[in-house]
Amino acid sequence: MGMEGIGAPVKRKEDRRFITGRGRYTDDIALKDMTYAWFVRSPHAHARIRSIDTSAARAAPGVVGVLTGADLAGDKIGGLICGWMIHSKDGSPMKAGAHPAIAAEVVKHVGDQVAVVIAETRNQARDAAELVVVDYEPLPAIVDPAKSRAAAAPQVHPEAPGNLIYNWGLGDEAATDAALAGAARIVTLDMRNNRLVPNAIEPRAAIGAYDPAEEHYTLYNTSQNPHVARLVLSAFVGVAPEHKLRVVAPDVGGGFGSKIFIYPEETVCLWASRRIGGRPVKWTADRSESFLVDAHGRDHVTHAEMAFDADNRILGLKVHTIANIGAYMSTFSSSVPTYLYATLLSGQYDIPAIYAEVDAVYTHTAPVDAYRGAGRPEATYVVERLMETAARELGVDPAELRRRNFVRSFPHQTPVIMAYDAGDYEAHLDAALKIADYAGFAARKAEAKARGKLRGIGFSCYIEACGIAPSQAVGSLGAGVGLWESAEVRVNPVGTVEVLTGCHSHGQGHETTYAQLVNERLGIPIDQISIVHGDTDKVQFGMGTYGSRSGAVGMSAVLKAIEKVEAKAKKIAAHLMEASEADIVIEGGELKVAGTDKSLPFFQVALAAYTAHNLPAGMEPGLKEGAFYDPTNFTFPAGTYICEVEIDPDTGKTEICSFVAVDDFGKIINPMIVEGQVHGGVTQGLGQALLENCVYDEESGQLITGSMMDYAMPRASDVPSYNVTTTETVCPGNPLGMKGCGEAGAIGSPPALINAITDAIGNNDLSMPATPEKVWRAIRAVA
Amino acid sequence: MDMSGEYRIPVPRERVWEALNDPEVLKDCIPGCESLEKEGDTGLKAAVVAKIGPVKAKFNGKVTLSDLVPPESYRITGEGSGGVAGFANGGADVHLAEDGGETVLTYKVHAKVGGKLAQVGSRLVDSAARKMADDFFGAFSERLTRGEEAEVEAESLRERAEHIVEDAAHVVEETAHAAEEQLEAAAGKGSFGGPVMWAWIALALMALGLLMMTQ
Repeated sequence: MGMEGIGAPVKRKEDRRFITGRGRYTDDIALKDMTYAWFVRSPHAHARIRSIDTSAARAAPGVVGVLTGADLAGDKIGGLICGWMIHSKDGSPMKAGAHPAIAAEVVKHVGDQVAVVIAETRNQARDAAELVVVDYEPLPAIVDPAKSRAAAAPQVHPEAPGNLIYNWGLGDEAATDAALAGAARIVTLDMRNNRLVPNAIEPRAAIGAYDPAEEHYTLYNTSQNPHVARLVLSAFVGVAPEHKLRVVAPDVGGGFGSKIFIYPEETVCLWASRRIGGRPVKWTADRSESFLVDAHGRDHVTHAEMAFDADNRILGLKVHTIANIGAYMSTFSSSVPTYLYATLLSGQYDIPAIYAEVDAVYTHTAPVDAYRGAGRPEATYVVERLMETAARELGVDPAELRRRNFVRSFPHQTPVIMAYDAGDYEAHLDAALKIADYAGFAARKAEAKARGKLRGIGFSCYIEACGIAPSQAVGSLGAGVGLWESAEVRVNPVGTVEVLTGCHSHGQGHETTYAQLVNERLGIPIDQISIVHGDTDKVQFGMGTYGSRSGAVGMSAVLKAIEKVEAKAKKIAAHLMEASEADIVIEGGELKVAGTDKSLPFFQVALAAYTAHNLPAGMEPGLKEGAFYDPTNFTFPAGTYICEVEIDPDTGKTEICSFVAVDDFGKIINPMIVEGQVHGGVTQGLGQALLENCVYDEESGQLITGSMMDYAMPRASDVPSYNVTTTETVCPGNPLGMKGCGEAGAIGSPPALINAITDAIGNNDLSMPATPEKVWRAIRAVA
Repeated sequence: MDMSGEYRIPVPRERVWEALNDPEVLKDCIPGCESLEKEGDTGLKAAVVAKIGPVKAKFNGKVTLSDLVPPESYRITGEGSGGVAGFANGGADVHLAEDGGETVLTYKVHAKVGGKLAQVGSRLVDSAARKMADDFFGAFSERLTRGEEAEVEAESLRERAEHIVEDAAHVVEETAHAAEEQLEAAAGKGSFGGPVMWAWIALALMALGLLMMTQ
């Protein structure tokens, strides 16, 4: 390991501009003659639009235009799409309702946009929006996914009778039923995976700019995947042809999945810019809008049964889940409760038979889509709550029950598609038990009891799947896109390097880690390496960043391109030093002839490539290579989390005393960044388990946790100082041996906390978030 | 939102009923009430401007009265809209009971709020609505009590008049008439309107209170 190479805890290059306020986000961009958009949004969860009167708004000061859904339809701008086709058990395709960028006839959730006002300033647009008079006929709304299929439930889309989008199944139902029938013991659990609001620090924003001279559009957007946005906006929504649309995603202040999707607002900004004659149109969400219209996360209602034999080995697992999709199918919403969820239900365990059935339902709520972990937190919660419950019901140690059922030989084919390639689950369990001083827990519990406190310990042995791939496999499962990644490595004549990637960094630190990879291979200092991303005019194509794919998939593509650069550089160096190409090695920024003292600095080889005065015969000038990388499999990060809590029985307040995270992420490029990712992920997961809950009023369909006053985000004082460490099994599926670390914390931590709290209070009947009131009631329920 | 409450008003029930049905009384007791108009036989329309902290907004509302049992009880349903601030709609059952010479008013409200009001203010709806109701009844009660004082004054005038000789009778009549006018002005006499108003206005006002939070 060099000072800046793979494995070095290099400080993040990008942080200098972020912490000095020099990040350049979408809202920081000011274009000439720019106008500002403000959306008129429905105050009703479900209502028919009788009429819209925009006359007063049009006459208001500074107003440039007021556009409605009728204008959008008139211009033949298509609806937004869901990019992953799921088929029901009966073979029928999912039943997706229309998703217009501006509602024209019926609004389907609070916040649904009905008009957009464009004005000279943001405040003028906002003031004028108040003058748009919409006459609504309120209709009854349904918000609870568990009730949405009832015969009397209000219908969200005529295309989906009974609000059912699909009834999907995975696994062998007959074998699972047989396993349950032959079980010595069946453990049953009903769970709700609470609905979450993503809340990235930077709200979503977009600038649409149409150039009438070139008939060309530019979109600046808070996007995790600008190329996918361009593809969808051109090929499906039809705003502009792909070669006439440039999408730029500059600095983005966090996404957590919520900025993967192609939303109505950016669609409207692009279209509106043309409608008003080419002046750019900027929209920046305020926090209230973010709560209403950013795609939410989770919202599963699950019933699960796990069968054990007399030796406490798992025989089978049967799961039924109702997944709330919201009022519209967001871009990847269909894949989250299916292939990103049920495929992980085997956990770290050798389970012979698994069957999962998922009903995806519409409700009159904001769309629900991927949020940090996307399906895997829901799966982990099911499996790990069941394991802890089973340990209690079977009267065995929760760590030992898990150990008994671990997968021990690899590759391991689960009954639910996944083929685990590598892992050592006992290694992280043992490490975590030691760090958490599990042996000393009984004494700590007794000591807490003497102080009048309830102390509990909880486990979570999670597994997840990153770098969703390969393209052929995901295509066969219904994905509308391939999930490879591209890269280009451009060596400049002076030897500095630009790496172009189709991934997008919005907090992950790619500008540092990608440079570390180049440094490792070419020996160039990382301050001479630039990472270029987030602009469809610069990077040819890419799939963006989500699903913890930028390391395992994105950097593998970079490595492939580097290898091509190395090969050409070696040819040039061999030619210049009159040596055999096979004898050239790259070391410490030099190309050396092995076994001699002959060497050339890398920059001299680069210069030679561009002067082209003395290249091998027939060689093209230049030193620039591109590569596409399509993985052979998912990667499977796994780990053990142990959480210890203390509860005040008088108030129900939970204090998280310690949290131990031992993760196997495979090869690690930058341990400091990995630790940061774990800290962030664990905090988000603990936030879900302890504090966060998105609530719609059942009767009115109103979002009643629509601000930071009512939606509790975790703060530093809510969480302990984490104890984070790693074990390593190398991932055989990619050349760098990496697995991915971006989501693990959020995936593994919620069941660890709930298991700890339920252990402390002696009542297993507790749902997330474990607020003091709920815990207090649960304590009294068993007192 | 569900809310119920009870107020003791130190005047007889008929008087309270009449006052609750007097648009003028209501207009005076509802802070920021700009207009109050009758709409048909059982409807009423009002506009209320409220300024709380940095927020100023006009709420337009309509209410309808039903199940009238004078002077005992009735039901109000209504809705108020504050534009981007959101809306409130719901109903209230109001009951007036006699207790000595005083009146005990009880009410039960079930209301829904929507839009920004629900998004940012749900947690505060109950307490804000209760404060608005308290403010209204405080003003209403004070207004009626002043009316009672005027009546006591009128009674003494009447008594004095009875002891005056016949040729002074016209003076007595005038005095009594003046006293009655005073009373009417104080207690009001309109056909209906009052309790109707406070309910939705309470909703509208609490809505405005909550709006502060969004700024």
